[in-house]
Amino acid sequence: MIDVVIGAIVWSNLLVLLALGLTMTYITTGVPNFAQASFAIIGSYIALTLLRLAELHPYLSLPVTFILGGILGLLTYYLALKPLIKRKASIEMLMIATLAWDLILFGITGAYSELLSSITKKTETLFVFTYLDFEFYGLPGRLIVSSLLVLLTILGLYLLLYKTKFGIALRASMENPSLAEAMGINVENTRLFSWFLSGALACMAGSVLPFLQEIVPQTGYFIIVSIFAASIVGGLYHILGALIGGYIIGISESLFTYVLSIFLGPGVLVYSKVISLLMMIVTILIHPKGITGTELWRKVERWLNL
Amino acid sequence: MIKVEKLNSGYGKLQILFDIDLEVPKGEITTIVGPNGSGKSTFLKSLFGLTDIYSGSIIYEGKDITYTPPHEKTKMGISYLPQTNNVFTNLTVRENLRIAGYILERDEVEERINFALEVFPELKDILDRKAGSLSGGQRQMLAMATALVRKTKLLILDEPTAQLSPKLAQLIFDKIVELRDSYSITPLLVEQNAKRALEISDIGYMFVSGRVVYGGPAKALLNHEKFQSYFLGIVGVEEC
Repeated sequence: MIDVVIGAIVWSNLLVLLALGLTMTYITTGVPNFAQASFAIIGSYIALTLLRLAELHPYLSLPVTFILGGILGLLTYYLALKPLIKRKASIEMLMIATLAWDLILFGITGAYSELLSSITKKTETLFVFTYLDFEFYGLPGRLIVSSLLVLLTILGLYLLLYKTKFGIALRASMENPSLAEAMGINVENTRLFSWFLSGALACMAGSVLPFLQEIVPQTGYFIIVSIFAASIVGGLYHILGALIGGYIIGISESLFTYVLSIFLGPGVLVYSKVISLLMMIVTILIHPKGITGTELWRKVERWLNL
Repeated sequence: MIKVEKLNSGYGKLQILFDIDLEVPKGEITTIVGPNGSGKSTFLKSLFGLTDIYSGSIIYEGKDITYTPPHEKTKMGISYLPQTNNVFTNLTVRENLRIAGYILERDEVEERINFALEVFPELKDILDRKAGSLSGGQRQMLAMATALVRKTKLLILDEPTAQLSPKLAQLIFDKIVELRDSYSITPLLVEQNAKRALEISDIGYMFVSGRVVYGGPAKALLNHEKFQSYFLGIVGVEEC
């Protein structure tokens, strides 16, 4: 049971990082990025490459993954979205563009895994990092590292958004881009930042993911549902929504499916994503703005003075 | 200060304004009145670069700014305060003031914020409150204070007293006069509260169906037959 709880927390931590990027780019650019999960899988492959070719432990390669992920996020914005935004493309067209970009990234990941296999003479289309994990006072490294990543990200974002001039400009641009522009803020810079951060966080999450589960190039298609569910349940219009939604979806998916498997047998474990899908559908039907869009949340915000 | 000649503008293919000629003299309050849908607000947006301009020119302090983007106009000392969404509701009053001075140096921002708070002392006690929790009057004052932080020379206000009580509306009108008299700011406003706005104004314009039907002294507009016909309901002058 304890392993299930640890797995649920680790998965939730990674979902928070992935959903944070999705929410930020949605708020600043207005596009739900369907390639978010592919960012994570590319992060997994970056970590694998550094492990195989530079013998760098995946936890130690996190700063490199962060920067390369950020560059991937920027490339996505520049290559897939900006040309369409310039032509005043509709939100539907932009969504389709991210889907197309996702397919391109999937193709590149598949081809790259084959290339890496030919270089290392090992099968790299399916891999895990579990054998590389450490333990600290009985706690697995993946739990400590993923929790630290979330803590550092939230702390960093808090300091940035509330204590710096650029952060306040970022919040202003998220709320009302045209007014922000009237204040002399370069709204485009805030978009670039959010795409950089989105890619960076997703790739970092992706480099920890192989400590939790097997990775294949198609893994992104399984986890994209959970990322969207986390963002939507928490609220796509609020950064903290990703934090709340990430834990609700991550823990529900893991623990609820585990409890069901006790009664219905292990066969139900493969249907864990149904939980996320259901929660997402119910949220969209009942309260599309998610938890952070409720009156109760506004009261909490006032109480916390956020 | 600003001179508009033969301006034709609108949104996409929908033309709203036709051959607008208008002049805002420096140091005077200019008010535009007109019935709903006459293009008053669209005109203000056109001045600030938020509409599609088909032809005509906008000259500001001798420079052609017809197609200058909004953020550049901000740097030139033009501030536009829309009727709604003119402050960031998720930011505190202090943050709104800080972000208003985004293009200024850090030391200068503090100096300008202190100056804005001297003009609007009502904001001093609510600096840490979110703008979204302010009353309509407080929000309007905050919006005007942000314009002061930005070193505004021409302040464009779209219905600044909309949805305010008569007492608060009077307070806002008094502040507009104070901005002109004490801080050399030239206000240009659109108002539904036409009679009261024209009483404090030097120059008045009246728009009907996207065209200027009057331009001249504000007091004379109050007695003009078109104004009486549209705003005071005096019949027999012209169909409404």
